[in-house]
Amino acid sequence: MKLVDLPLASAARVSALAVDASLARRLRAVGVFEDEAIVVLRRAVFGGPLHVRTSSGGEFALDRRIAAAIDVAPELDDTAEAAE
Amino acid sequence: MSAARSARPVTIDIALLGRPNAGKSSLYNALTGGDAKVGNFPGITVDVLEASAPLPGGGSATFFDLPGVYSLEDDVDPESDEGQARACIARLESAGERFVVAQVVDATQLVLGLRLTRELLEKRWPTLLLVTQRDVLEKSGARLDAELLERELGVRVLAVSARDPDVRERVLAAVRELAAGDLPRAEARAFEPRELAERAIRRPSLRPSHASRDSTARADAILLHPVIGPIVFVVIMMALFSAVFLVADPASRALDAILGRVSARVVATFGANLWTSLLCDGVLGGAGTVLAFLPQIVILTLALEIIDASGYLARGAFLVDRLLRLAGLGGTSFVPLLTAHACAVPAIASTRIVRDPRQRLRTLLVLPLMTCSARIPTYGLLIAAFFRHRGALFQAAVFVCLYCAGILAGFVASLVIGKTMERRGPRTLPLVLEMPAYRLPQVRVVFRMGVRACTRFLREVGTVIVVASVALWMLMKIPAPGAPHDPQHSVAAAIGHGLEPVTKPLGFDWRIDVGLIGSFGARELMVSTLGVTYGVEQEGKKDVAPLADRIGSDPAYSTATALALMAFFVLACQCMSTVAALRRETKGWRVPLFVLAYTYGAAYVAALVVHQIARALAS
Repeated sequence: MKLVDLPLASAARVSALAVDASLARRLRAVGVFEDEAIVVLRRAVFGGPLHVRTSSGGEFALDRRIAAAIDVAPELDDTAEAAE
Repeated sequence: MSAARSARPVTIDIALLGRPNAGKSSLYNALTGGDAKVGNFPGITVDVLEASAPLPGGGSATFFDLPGVYSLEDDVDPESDEGQARACIARLESAGERFVVAQVVDATQLVLGLRLTRELLEKRWPTLLLVTQRDVLEKSGARLDAELLERELGVRVLAVSARDPDVRERVLAAVRELAAGDLPRAEARAFEPRELAERAIRRPSLRPSHASRDSTARADAILLHPVIGPIVFVVIMMALFSAVFLVADPASRALDAILGRVSARVVATFGANLWTSLLCDGVLGGAGTVLAFLPQIVILTLALEIIDASGYLARGAFLVDRLLRLAGLGGTSFVPLLTAHACAVPAIASTRIVRDPRQRLRTLLVLPLMTCSARIPTYGLLIAAFFRHRGALFQAAVFVCLYCAGILAGFVASLVIGKTMERRGPRTLPLVLEMPAYRLPQVRVVFRMGVRACTRFLREVGTVIVVASVALWMLMKIPAPGAPHDPQHSVAAAIGHGLEPVTKPLGFDWRIDVGLIGSFGARELMVSTLGVTYGVEQEGKKDVAPLADRIGSDPAYSTATALALMAFFVLACQCMSTVAALRRETKGWRVPLFVLAYTYGAAYVAALVVHQIARALAS
């Protein structure tokens, strides 16, 4: 599924960054990269950005269009662990 | 080691590199005692702080606080902070002096820091790792194994905290060790950051703990709440504006009074002649204007620095991103646009935080439309002159409308500019912004920022205003050929009369035209210029009542004229300092000339329309 559709506080892992190469490089450099556990903390109103947290300890604001292009694989076990 | 070698003083350059929010500035502050001058890097436009510290056993190290860097490999706009940081290192390297790249890594984000380390090692520069936030890490019960990192990475690693009393000692000792030897270059290492970080951080329990993030998460629950969040944001912004208004105003009056007394002293001592007039009306008048605006610049700069250092800035960008996208800008543009409400000059410098070059250009083109504090005296004068009888509430409402007009104009301008830009390339880069943990800003760091903002403002804007003030004084004192010595017949007045045919449809006459000429030097000069052309001696610039009465009762001016003049002031980029800053920032004349052309053009049309409509409604 896409990151933008991931329910709040639900654990997942980034599987692919389906964006153009330079944006993908930027995302990886900032801290959103493949195999990272990721959680959506909140969404801004009216179609604004997403606030996510990754397991490397980073939190990021991502434009919704980017979130719509990031593939994630939901983790079916312990939600709390991935959020930590 | 030869005697000659040990006799030579050891000097070494240390570039502090690291991700944004890693804690570079706090560490820099702790290492250098906060003493800093802005480094001299030709071709580098961003402020890179540099300061020296003496090394134990002789010699000195110069620390450079570079802007944050996420990657050394990623394609980056050379004008952005990241691009500038890389350019700085390139300069240090090519300068041929001994230099070390000290990467500042946040211990609570070790994985992300190590990803940059991996790229850094490949560059094979002499490298040192300073892992900060050690205290935060230890509070959560974990410990960093610095020796393990040293072994695995092949570079010296220090676990420090900017709050440690001995951090300076320890870092300088490590630098001394490096500097005394041959400065070994780093070697590229293949490692998996996540795996290495896991081994390097010893935790008592298996569950990774993010103590600082817990309090951050709690704060975000309020500050980013869908309803409370925007309310808090608006309250903070309004408090900022009110502070600029309320606190700055008495400070300005006080400065004004002081300068008034100095002027009186000069005239009393040397008599009222051309030279004292030049000194008092020209130079001191201009200086007074500059000093009167200093409190506002300081307040806004300090407030923005606190907002940034605390981590709230990213939250603000998160909240307004969607709104600004409607105008074709993005969340990060809100800082320059906000700063522009005090003064466009520091705002232009702050556009560096906008990563996308197209969005940055658009922000630059639009921010002169924001209602800067220099427009306030003119608005105040016009409102006092033409809406005296309407009461305080109405007058306040007019002020608010003018502020909103600036913002609305900015929106529209951004959309129009966007339409023309879109034909040239793809849309603005979407938002990718790190949301750092909330931190208490360090008073010393914030204070230094305020001081730097002051000196910069005085240097860049202050000098322009004083020069403009003197130039205007000359134009108003020098009589037109063959005419008597009074303002009504000065060169400035002659120019004003010359402009009348052009400005008549707007309801302006030569006095206002002279004022507009003067206000190009500095908007603040409009009021004093009108004062001179009306022959009204003002006790202080703020005492506009006599002038307002004169203007209000002048049959040549109607309310329509006042409205047209306000419309003109809202839009026109009447500020030499802004033009100069735009030229500095974009390294060319295209952008400033375009801004002048489109804002004056729009101002003319708007004033024309307003005047004609207002006159039609009045009759």
